[in-house]
Amino acid sequence: MYKILALLLCLTYVTALEKVNNQLINKNVERSIDLTTQLVKITSTITLENTGRESVRNFLLVLEPNTVGNVSYSNVKDSLKDDLKIVRIEVDNQKDKTFYNVLLKQPLDAGRVTTVVLEEVLTKSLIPFPSSITQKEKQLKTEVSLSSRTVENYTKLKPVVQSDSTITYGPYGTIQPFTQDEMIIHYENNAPFLTVTRLERSIEISHWGNIAVEENIQIRHTGAKLKGPFSRYDYQRDTGTAHHSIKSYRTILPASAHSVYYRDSNGNISTSTVRPRKEWIELELRPRFPLFGGWQSSYTLGYSVPSYQYLFKNPSGEYVLNMRIIDHVFDDMHVEELETAIVLPVGVSDIKLNTPYEVERLGDEITYKYLDNIGRTVIKLRKTNLVEQHIQDLEITYNWKPHLLLHEPILLSIALFLSFVCVIIYVRLDFSLSKSEHSKKE
Amino acid sequence: MLGFGKKGPTQTQNAEKQETLLTLSILTLAAILSPLFSSFTTIITYLLTKEVKNAGAGLVAAAFVSIVPGYISRSVAGSYDNEGIAIFCMLLTYYTWIKAVKTGTILWGTLTALAYFYMVSSWGGYVFLINLIPLHVLTLMATGRFSHRIYIAYSTLYCVGTILSMQISFVGFQPVQSSEHMLALGVFGLCQIVAFVDYIRSKLSKNDFETLYTFLIYTVGILAITVGGVLTLSGKISPWTGRFYSLLDPSYAKNHIPIIASVSEHQPTSWSSFYFDLQILVFLFPAVVTLLLISYTFHCTWVTSEAYSSPSIVLSARSHDGGRIIFDDFREAYYWLKMNTPEDARIMSWWDYGYQITAMANRTILVDNNTWNNTHISRVGQAMASSEEKAYEIMKELDVDYVLVIFGGLTGYSSDDINKFLWMVRIGGSTDRGAHIKEWDYYSSNGEFRVDKEGSQTLLNCLMYKMCYYRFGQVYTEGGKPPGYDRVRAAEIGNKDFELDVLEEAYTTEHWLVRIYKVKDLPNRGV
Amino acid sequence: MAQIGTVISKFYNEYQIKTSKKLKVIDAYLFYILLTGIVQFVYCILVGTFPFNSFLSGFISSVSCFVLGVCLRLQVNPENKSQFYGISPERGFADFIFAHVVLHLVVMNFIG
Repeated sequence: MYKILALLLCLTYVTALEKVNNQLINKNVERSIDLTTQLVKITSTITLENTGRESVRNFLLVLEPNTVGNVSYSNVKDSLKDDLKIVRIEVDNQKDKTFYNVLLKQPLDAGRVTTVVLEEVLTKSLIPFPSSITQKEKQLKTEVSLSSRTVENYTKLKPVVQSDSTITYGPYGTIQPFTQDEMIIHYENNAPFLTVTRLERSIEISHWGNIAVEENIQIRHTGAKLKGPFSRYDYQRDTGTAHHSIKSYRTILPASAHSVYYRDSNGNISTSTVRPRKEWIELELRPRFPLFGGWQSSYTLGYSVPSYQYLFKNPSGEYVLNMRIIDHVFDDMHVEELETAIVLPVGVSDIKLNTPYEVERLGDEITYKYLDNIGRTVIKLRKTNLVEQHIQDLEITYNWKPHLLLHEPILLSIALFLSFVCVIIYVRLDFSLSKSEHSKKE
Repeated sequence: MLGFGKKGPTQTQNAEKQETLLTLSILTLAAILSPLFSSFTTIITYLLTKEVKNAGAGLVAAAFVSIVPGYISRSVAGSYDNEGIAIFCMLLTYYTWIKAVKTGTILWGTLTALAYFYMVSSWGGYVFLINLIPLHVLTLMATGRFSHRIYIAYSTLYCVGTILSMQISFVGFQPVQSSEHMLALGVFGLCQIVAFVDYIRSKLSKNDFETLYTFLIYTVGILAITVGGVLTLSGKISPWTGRFYSLLDPSYAKNHIPIIASVSEHQPTSWSSFYFDLQILVFLFPAVVTLLLISYTFHCTWVTSEAYSSPSIVLSARSHDGGRIIFDDFREAYYWLKMNTPEDARIMSWWDYGYQITAMANRTILVDNNTWNNTHISRVGQAMASSEEKAYEIMKELDVDYVLVIFGGLTGYSSDDINKFLWMVRIGGSTDRGAHIKEWDYYSSNGEFRVDKEGSQTLLNCLMYKMCYYRFGQVYTEGGKPPGYDRVRAAEIGNKDFELDVLEEAYTTEHWLVRIYKVKDLPNRGV
Repeated sequence: MAQIGTVISKFYNEYQIKTSKKLKVIDAYLFYILLTGIVQFVYCILVGTFPFNSFLSGFISSVSCFVLGVCLRLQVNPENKSQFYGISPERGFADFIFAHVVLHLVVMNFIG
């Protein structure tokens, strides 16, 4: 049996800059919580009504205290599906709670109503219970939008209705600010609970027309741990029903990717299939062994893409690289730690970096590749707790002179030339001892 | 990999990937070394044959050595073993020796000593060399062709070469102590005596010389016998070792030391293998070269691609519809061990897989391919051949966490542990603590090695049997055959429904080739 | 026994007259090496073989120097010219030096 904790928090605030504004009320809040995968996805549709006399430019959202550490991604869109800017701030009298300040595109006049949609993704919020199971048992979790009909029990805060794989709580009327009610749902979830514990992504730019991407991925099954023996015989017989073990998963690569390799420290892994689709390439990866709870594996995935799709020249003569900070590993992925390294060509200057969301920038490094004597700059970024919604482009701008492309060929030519010169000199030298013998004979 | 413009992955997984001007990983180097040295061998064969005969013969010899399957099998890319380099070193030493004998310069003598040193450092087979060259010198003496040149060549080689060879710790002081090196020492002494005698003879008249000669013979002879006898009796000179006995009597090893006999390279070559490797050369040497060389080259290429280029860690087979199936079970199992066992786990398996487990799974093992400690290997053999209870005592004594076996019954892979099992029994029973293990107990009543119902009860209940066939009794392996049909032994196994008391199945690979078991802890007292 | 005496004295006289100065120098050098070799061997018998590698290194060094000296003598001796086609005494000496370099490197390494 598994227990999962999720808090049902029915509160949002609006304030005028660090003060809670009582005039703005939530006319209607609809929350849908998706618990079909290992991630908790909460979508809240909030209808705001300005009952005061002044127009309001922003409002405050408060985060559930228990989940602050688990929030991986949050986003607010208005009724026109545009992203609204959100910033974390503190509020007077409420220092113990974390708030988001959301800026509205158009100020909300008195008496008017507007709708915003808040999207949150939480990681590590689903706890397997029991925490270890045998091979044959089923993995259970709690969820609102459930992945199956099998529900052990759920909090019965009336009104509540369960139909098929959905539990609907509510509607509840007139709730005071900062009210909290706990919701616990215990259900069966055999979705793959795969976490990427560490992802090292390396992007190498070559102005000969190629960008090489290599990812070192360490994955672990973070569901219920396997208890007892692993029987290959039972595993091979038991393939029909959805199983909590992970046999394979799909990675999406850019459509122009070629020379894909999939290997680990022991060599090439042959159990993979590449399926080119219209807009992308689907790579079905099968680890060397199926992953059960607590088991881990690691691999290296690499491919090359042509540079003209990602590297551009802006009007002021600088080069701009637009590449993804993190790319798709599998659907509903959860990456605990990401380190992206971008290796720039030899001899770049004036490097500027632009990221769509906050990342930790580590110090620049110098690395030497084949035939390098100057060294290439490496930009390193780090971020923790990422999900699929973090797949966005970063932008690097730099200055580079085209003649530097010939650096390596010229180096090689000079080296060969010098070795030839040495040989020419050597064969013309005379090392013989037998001058005296020659003179004797004559 | 070396290459301009080619972006390949680095094989190391260090945090700091510091690549220099020319990046070459150890894995690449180890794989390429053997073919590199085989190309050197071709060149040296040409040079050697040219010295002996002429350039034309040299070219022919080089052409043959470059394609003959027997040598290719010892020098395929990836076969990182002594012989890949040692064969080149041996030919190099012979070449420099011939040059030294022909020119008689101290330079060539020293170069021979250096080549000999290279040979000693690469392979224990240098012993054959240090006996063959003195034999050559002896023959030359016997046929009256001993000259100053040969004296210079051999004396330089022996003096400088011996002290060089003693730098290798494996050799140590053997050149002056073991019987294998005594021929070389003896011939050296003989050289000095013969040269001295020649010198004296050139200076004196016949009669004078004869008197001096007889006098010296008596004194030296008596001295040599007394000193030699004292040294041998007092044990200063060791008796002949096993390796040398094998040269004289190939069946010596088989009868006395099972572990040497079990290595496949030591088995005498059957005639069919000879033909496979040499083909037409066996009968038609020297052959009508041009015509047959072409067909011979085709044969060699075919043999190399089919027999000697197949890796043995990844197997492949053709299914009935023609498609290829890959069996990557070994790497699957080793990777599972690497990822999902504690770092200090100890693995017990037969010695064949020791190096592989160490390199790929990065775990501690008990015995490996070095086969250095015969008693230890024998203990492992006893564990495999005993019943579960007795094996548990041994495993606890050796502090084993996991046990690994290779099983080919599902796929038809015939080099599995059940086929090697009799060797485990023989080696297990060859030491004191394994005296209770008798090979005969594992045969059926009419003397055959069988795994079905007719098999001996000792075999059907030993640890190796149970580990290989656990839960196998319910598997259907071939159409029309009962469940639990072993495709290698072509028999339905005799002991099907049993449970394991002291082990727990930890992992079995996709095609059941590798099976890993966890050793259960001791039960708690009072529970 | 007396015969042996006359033979030896006859040999000695002939040696004094017939051998050239160059060869006598080499012979003196050989005799000296022989002495060092004997001294080492006697010492080993009296005091013991520990450390064995040092004894071996020193003794083999003596033996090798002696042997190489004999080789050089053979090559330098004009009577043997027919056997060493195309090798001048200078070349012989150069080879001798080369062999000594290698020998002494090894001896230094082995002596411990």
